[in-house]
Amino acid sequence: MIKITQDEFKVFAEYVRQISGLCLDQRKAYLIETRLKNLMREQDCDSYMALYRKARADTGKSLENKIIEAIVTHETLFFRDAWPFDLLHEKLLPDIVAMREAESPLPIRIWSAGCATGQEIYSIAMMLRETLSDLRKYAITLLGTDISATAIAQAESGTYHRFETDRGLSSIRLRRFFVPMGNNWQIRDDLRAMTTFKTHHLMQPLRGSGVFDIVFCRNVAIYFDAEGQKRLFDNLATVMARGGRLITGSTESVVNVCSRFKPERHQRAFFYQLR
Amino acid sequence: MKNLRILVVDDDHFLLSITKKAIEKAGHQVETAGNGADALDLISKYPFDGVVTDLKMPGDMDGIDLLEAVKAADRDTEVILMTSHATVASAVTAMKKGAADYLQKPVNFEELNLRLEKIRQMKSLIKDADDLREAMDITENKAGQTIRELEMMVADLQSRLSAMEKRLAEKK
Repeated sequence: MIKITQDEFKVFAEYVRQISGLCLDQRKAYLIETRLKNLMREQDCDSYMALYRKARADTGKSLENKIIEAIVTHETLFFRDAWPFDLLHEKLLPDIVAMREAESPLPIRIWSAGCATGQEIYSIAMMLRETLSDLRKYAITLLGTDISATAIAQAESGTYHRFETDRGLSSIRLRRFFVPMGNNWQIRDDLRAMTTFKTHHLMQPLRGSGVFDIVFCRNVAIYFDAEGQKRLFDNLATVMARGGRLITGSTESVVNVCSRFKPERHQRAFFYQLR
Repeated sequence: MKNLRILVVDDDHFLLSITKKAIEKAGHQVETAGNGADALDLISKYPFDGVVTDLKMPGDMDGIDLLEAVKAADRDTEVILMTSHATVASAVTAMKKGAADYLQKPVNFEELNLRLEKIRQMKSLIKDADDLREAMDITENKAGQTIRELEMMVADLQSRLSAMEKRLAEKK
């Protein structure tokens, strides 16, 4: 494996920040080395500067995308942290239903921003199935977006290895909502049909997908610096309905970087409301 | 993870005993069963890390049926099938149904133990990952609580500050 020098790291980190908003920590230089190892070999590069120059020269941006794919962290699981889904079930959905009682079908629009391989939006789909008695009464939009095209492709297929389904899914939900395929499980077609996925870069505003009542953007801001975080939260706010709710990861702070959201508590749970 | 608990299933008692000995030599704990029904009985009583079973067995249950029953009882139990007439098609079927491996009889015990060693390594990696996630969850929860308190406080201070600024502006 080729070692990255301090100077190379600086150039490379700045380049990654520009193309993706992701902030690389100098202390984690070894992560770059392991994550870019295969790409360096594939591109026949003997230094990180060579890879950098090659990526810069590639106007088709295919190498740029490959670098982002290699560097981005895909960590996710079904029903991660449990409380956001309780919050959805106990507070956020009932609020929307109460507010739009007169509308038929009643719109519910949820975006999982930075959805990786789709576990979060499918957890939401399962929860809607369990919570709402007759789905035909609702016009449900469930959108998952991620910067990684390979992650989105897996999310679209709705197929998970048992190591992935083992994380967060009860055996009752697994049997109810998935179909077995050897060591894999595939989410049922009716749930897959409730969702849409697309690749999207959170440093850009989301266009052409309408507005959302609820946005899940959890453990995404942690990878950005303060400037990137502000841009991220502003971009989210732009496509949120009036009074829309934002759910972030439990260690992420919004109020210090963006004044458009107000923190709210609901029992153990915590969310932000668009001002 | 030091060693595995393995269940060997074969209707041939001689093969059963030499397989047991060979696996024990590699440091694992071994139980045996002479047919699928006895195997399932044992599995319902104790958890096993792995089941090494013959594909063809007399009675109602062959190796594939046992594989399906084992996987239904506990997805974490790995199954290795042994067969005298290995074909690519039957191996593919077994793997699709979740078998960890498929070995041709007469089984080379060194090879069997290498496969078991792979299973041991994988289980130990899974355990490490689970432990790390658990540690991360605890850290994240504690940090999360503190950050939420601070978020509420900052929001409160910000609104008091802007109220004061408004009043000051009115006085001017």
